[in-house]
Amino acid sequence: MHSPTNSEQQQLAALAAGGRAATEQIYQQNYHIISSWLIKNGGGPVDAADIFQEAMVVLFGKAQDESFRLTCSIGTYLFAISKHLWYKKLQTQHKSPVFLQDRTGEEDNDLGIAYDDDINVHSEREAHYEQLNNALDQIGEPCRSLLKAYYHHDKNMQEIAADFGYTNPENAKNQKYKCLTRLRKLFYGVQAK
Amino acid sequence: MSINNNTWELAEAYIAGSLPQEELNELNNRLAGDVEFTNEFNEAINLINSINGSGKQKRFRTMLRDVHEKQTLSNQPAKTKRIVLPAHFWRTAAVAAGVAILTSTITIWSINYTLKKSDSKYNTISRKVGAIEKVQAQQQAQQNKLIEIINTKNKPTPPPSDVKYTGTGFALTNDGYFVTAYHVISDGDSVYIQNHDGDYFKAFVVNFNADADVAILKVEKKNFRFGKNEVPYTFTGSKAGLGAGIFTLGYPKDEVVYSEGYISAKNGFQGNTLQYTLELPAGHGQSGSPVIDGNGNILGLLTAVGSQNEANTYAVSSKALLELLHTIPNAASLHLPKSNKLGRMSREQQIEKMEAYTFSVKVYKK
Repeated sequence: MHSPTNSEQQQLAALAAGGRAATEQIYQQNYHIISSWLIKNGGGPVDAADIFQEAMVVLFGKAQDESFRLTCSIGTYLFAISKHLWYKKLQTQHKSPVFLQDRTGEEDNDLGIAYDDDINVHSEREAHYEQLNNALDQIGEPCRSLLKAYYHHDKNMQEIAADFGYTNPENAKNQKYKCLTRLRKLFYGVQAK
Repeated sequence: MSINNNTWELAEAYIAGSLPQEELNELNNRLAGDVEFTNEFNEAINLINSINGSGKQKRFRTMLRDVHEKQTLSNQPAKTKRIVLPAHFWRTAAVAAGVAILTSTITIWSINYTLKKSDSKYNTISRKVGAIEKVQAQQQAQQNKLIEIINTKNKPTPPPSDVKYTGTGFALTNDGYFVTAYHVISDGDSVYIQNHDGDYFKAFVVNFNADADVAILKVEKKNFRFGKNEVPYTFTGSKAGLGAGIFTLGYPKDEVVYSEGYISAKNGFQGNTLQYTLELPAGHGQSGSPVIDGNGNILGLLTAVGSQNEANTYAVSSKALLELLHTIPNAASLHLPKSNKLGRMSREQQIEKMEAYTFSVKVYKK
């Protein structure tokens, strides 16, 4: 396999920013080969889609760090992460059978520790986000909707002020800070004095 | 102490990098001296970063799902069309696809075959290492290498395809119908069998059941016969009992391999009633191998082994196979063997009788 090119580094930067074109491109270039590998190794079409998307999220997470540089091509990275995710899934299911067919095609030995680390970091982050979202769901209205509108749906303060009936963006912003304070209490379990 | 609005505003500006130098210095001074404030401020930073990151990832996931739906939607029609293709067209399609492959593939395979046979190293390694899979990996690597060597030597005519998967098949009728596991052939362009004499014959798919993992194929050659006599074993539709002794013949390598065991559970993977669970050593390349009881009845065919934590082997019961047989267009003209010639034989004799009817299945894909 080849090392990442400049254009791949640009693709990665666009992916990190959540660019749709770059995402579509990476999807198109890699989904078919990875999903057929997964299907050949005991996965269904739904598993294939899930695993590939998870691998994309791992890459997305890695790419958030601006200093991140791939040491291999995007395709190789996604393939390796997908394989690891799939083996992990099989391991947790414990008893999935492995087909006896004989694969004569190329078999890359990329079962490196680096990929495992990336996946571990990813699952820790997932757990962290889940806790945060649980706290967000317990926070009560209007805070829940307001914080979601701002952070999840990327709305700006003007839109939020209009949607939630605040007289101006400044008021909405103060409300947002109050909500963050409540979220912090829930999330970190801090007692207010 | 509860974080006040100013702290949040400060934290937001700090993350965005929009604090004027003067305020940044002031902040740094305060962070250096005020422990309580520092904790508070760090928590605020962490929380904002987390909720920001979580939101960003959520949007990315939503977009991914959308991209996936759009891309699979645009691929859908082609796929359905392929599945809908009626079984009797397969033959025509397979012939058309295979004609070009035929000539060059057979030459390459015969060269490949002789090269490997003449390589004495290969045999010693296989005996020394013992582990089927290891040998196989080497064998594969070697095969690939050989093909590569041939490729570079005969550059003007590179082979249009390469062997992709191998499994095992066994005869249903002497005139060319045979069975293997569906997953062996599911991903190929063309299928060949290689009998115990080393001869290749092209085959086409008659019908399959992907869920049960069974496929019925037929050798294309006219007046083809697997052996001199009728198929020596019979098929049983009823399920064999727990503990029944069984054996199998398969091709994990170029040579036929015998292994024996017993039925360890009446149902298969996750309670699948169309399967058996076996205590039987099996390796890659043995998918589709017949599972035979001591009297020469076919009980099923091998399909899969458990993952590392579990040593089970799974076989599709012959019931699933017989059910599939009834669905093929010319089922009436397909006469399964009625008499069992293996009943009173020693195991060696049984194996010898069966060899002509058990063979390696090679699947090619461009």
